[in-house]
Amino acid sequence: MHRRRSAILAALLLAGLLTTSALFAQGKKDDPGMPKVGDVAPDFTLKYFDGNDLKDVKLSDYRGKKNVVLAFYIFAFTGG
Amino acid sequence: MQAFQQNLKTLEAADTQVLGVSMDSAFANKAFADQIKVTFPLLSDWGGKVTHEYGIYKDEYQAPRRVNFLIGKDGKIMEEQVDRDAIDPKKIVDACARPRLKD
Repeated sequence: MHRRRSAILAALLLAGLLTTSALFAQGKKDDPGMPKVGDVAPDFTLKYFDGNDLKDVKLSDYRGKKNVVLAFYIFAFTGG
Repeated sequence: MQAFQQNLKTLEAADTQVLGVSMDSAFANKAFADQIKVTFPLLSDWGGKVTHEYGIYKDEYQAPRRVNFLIGKDGKIMEEQVDRDAIDPKKIVDACARPRLKD
């Protein structure tokens, strides 16, 4: 009887551990982390308004032609 | 952004295109560019897909962190500046002054 109870306890503990680690793994999946120096920059197509038209800018269009500075900023109208 | 504008000639001389990115709308970004007299495109990552792909979305801001990437002609990242370090882009401007970027 006693042995059976500890077996159940062990099973519960194991289940808890598995759930926790699964949650951690999922958290990592949501945030891939920043690409590092030497990594290929993820490609994208984004829009900008030149005053007349909405235009698409595709990162890979610069491949082999120009270096690109990507400057992410927090919000427009907040300095910097 | 203005720091890049001030160094735009150096960057362009090194075959470098500057692109600003935020999660504001394209129209807000154009108004912002006009206000601070920035002549390079400020791109709109409306919805934040690219911000998430680059791993720099910050819950606290509900917006990207301040990060600069220098990407070479081969598409690979050559330099990075994050948060406070990204305010002064000197490291990136200096990297552009190095001759190998011309290749």
